[in-house]
Amino acid sequence: MAHYSAPKQGKASQLIDVIVLVALTVGALFVPLWLGMAGSTKTVSNPAEAPTWEALGQNAAQAAQYEALGYDPASAHDLILARFDYSFTAGALIAMIVVVVLYYVLLLRFSESEYREVIAEKFGEK
Amino acid sequence: MQTWNYIEYAAWGLSALFGLYMLVDWFRTDTSYSEDVLTSSREGELEALTEEEHKA
Amino acid sequence: MADIDITSKTMDGMGPHGTKVGLLRVLGPAHVWALGVGIVLVGEYMGWNFAVGKGGAYAALIACWFAGILYTCVAMIDSEVTSTVAAAGGQYTQAKHIVGPLMAFNVGLYLTFAYTMLEAANAITAGYLISVVATMTGYEGALDQRPFIILSILFLAWLNYRGVLATLTFNLVITAIAFVAILVLFVSTSGIIGTGIVQHAALFEGHELPYGWIGVLAAMHFGLWYYLGIEGTTQAAEEVRSPARALPFGTLAGIMTLLIAATLTWYTCSGVLPWEFLGDGVNGSVAPLFDTARLSGSNALVWLLGIGTLFATLASANGCINDASRAWFAMGRDKYLPGWFGAVHPKYRTPYRSIVFLVPIALIFALGAPLDQVITFSILSGLLEYTFMPLNIILFRKKWPMGSIKRGYEHPFHPLPAIVLLCLCGITFFAVFLGYGTQLVAMIGFYIVVSLWFHFWRYRFVNRGAQFTMPWPKPQGY
Repeated sequence: MAHYSAPKQGKASQLIDVIVLVALTVGALFVPLWLGMAGSTKTVSNPAEAPTWEALGQNAAQAAQYEALGYDPASAHDLILARFDYSFTAGALIAMIVVVVLYYVLLLRFSESEYREVIAEKFGEK
Repeated sequence: MQTWNYIEYAAWGLSALFGLYMLVDWFRTDTSYSEDVLTSSREGELEALTEEEHKA
Repeated sequence: MADIDITSKTMDGMGPHGTKVGLLRVLGPAHVWALGVGIVLVGEYMGWNFAVGKGGAYAALIACWFAGILYTCVAMIDSEVTSTVAAAGGQYTQAKHIVGPLMAFNVGLYLTFAYTMLEAANAITAGYLISVVATMTGYEGALDQRPFIILSILFLAWLNYRGVLATLTFNLVITAIAFVAILVLFVSTSGIIGTGIVQHAALFEGHELPYGWIGVLAAMHFGLWYYLGIEGTTQAAEEVRSPARALPFGTLAGIMTLLIAATLTWYTCSGVLPWEFLGDGVNGSVAPLFDTARLSGSNALVWLLGIGTLFATLASANGCINDASRAWFAMGRDKYLPGWFGAVHPKYRTPYRSIVFLVPIALIFALGAPLDQVITFSILSGLLEYTFMPLNIILFRKKWPMGSIKRGYEHPFHPLPAIVLLCLCGITFFAVFLGYGTQLVAMIGFYIVVSLWFHFWRYRFVNRGAQFTMPWPKPQGY
């Protein structure tokens, strides 16, 4: 195989490449944030009517620790009762699996073709 | 408490100082050495070795 | 070629050959330990407790141990490959030699992002801690945390800029102090010395598994946080005096330290703090070990753990700057990124341009994004990297079977660790999906886009054969 010699990259082109990468990175973190799709928040689905430690499901030892931390039943109410929602749809799960698997397949396929080129140039054809 | 306000200013000041040190040193390094010397590092420094042996 | 042997000190092929200015080889095994444990130990001081919130205290313990198995596999696999592929860039360089260029480019980005995000998370925590100290010493009003966040990043970047030996010696000292603080807290609260204050049975009553078993799966997401970053030891490969010996030693000693620290942390905190408070790292316990010390009633412990928390965050940010810049530098050197980044400082012998370039990136995230998002971004990059590792070791053993090249360390029971690791990664993907599915897809979308960008545009600047630098025979099957 012919020896591949890479072109020398100019300063401006190098700069553009860096800007593209940074823009993509910042985008990947902030776009989900801006669209408000990010993360799971906890919600209180069963609020207690008159918050006492018993109503919040706390025994004496647990209540004592909360009091030591400076909480009373009213201020600890949201902290104690908020729960995550772990329900999901099969469609979303399948979509995630497909995306992850596709990504790795793409990676391995492209890598393999590039790798063969590297080995061929490094060690010569068989 | 005023002390913490001074500490805040001190933190801003020190940050600027460290940042400035790096920028100035970076600029001086880049202007006093050639790009070839600065980017002469090779992985494991083996590349240069193998390239030479190929030529030999 | 026969005169090169990676396990030898004098003939490992890393002489000053052709390189006019290279990285300096000054580190010993203790520095490798400090780099690995230093990055991770902050995970016991903050962040792991999100796992408690995800599934309760028992779920967090199960996640702690399963993540421990995951990372033991990571450490074993990593030790074998890196004791053979000893170069800055770590897993990036491994991927380049074993899987292929596009994989290497992705791995390099995982590394840079996992560490830069972790660095941002550390800076946020350091800023928060200082505001707590201000309140404790009687300051009224809200302290501006930004100057402290910026100062911690700039100070550590400056330290890194000035040389690797001082940087990691500093890390060794503060990591050791932070680790000892955990031991002291455990000894003094568990009843080994004096009266214990832990009361697991009473605190767990009625809240054993608040979400059932799905909570245990969900907890795996933040279970990684107990150990995330231990694989960073490999980044020091080009700066260690004898990589084939020091890297496996430092890495495996590191994972053992962390398994101990993680279990003790769980035991102490869950025995003192109620799980709803412990598990909420935003409105509840931001720094669980510190909060445990506050309830111990001992002022000395409060200060010790306060200092421990601060040191742990600084050690971690410090190691992250070191690792992220090495990975970025290695990619620049190979022209995977603009070659401009592949420069070494002629006097301090550090990849100074990469260090400076990553400072504003870390600042954007430290000042602009909430803590759990930053942590998730870091964990996701780490997770993608751990999924790559089993593929890497399987291909490594296939292309270069045992005996075909000299290895500094050979991990036992192959391919069992690889398979276990792959399964645990699958479970963790599911756990992330339960809470942060959108980010997961957004992030993989990002990696797909940059992969296409690399394959069709960027790769033209890379020399083909020359990037394969290891003195190995031709791989089998090519």
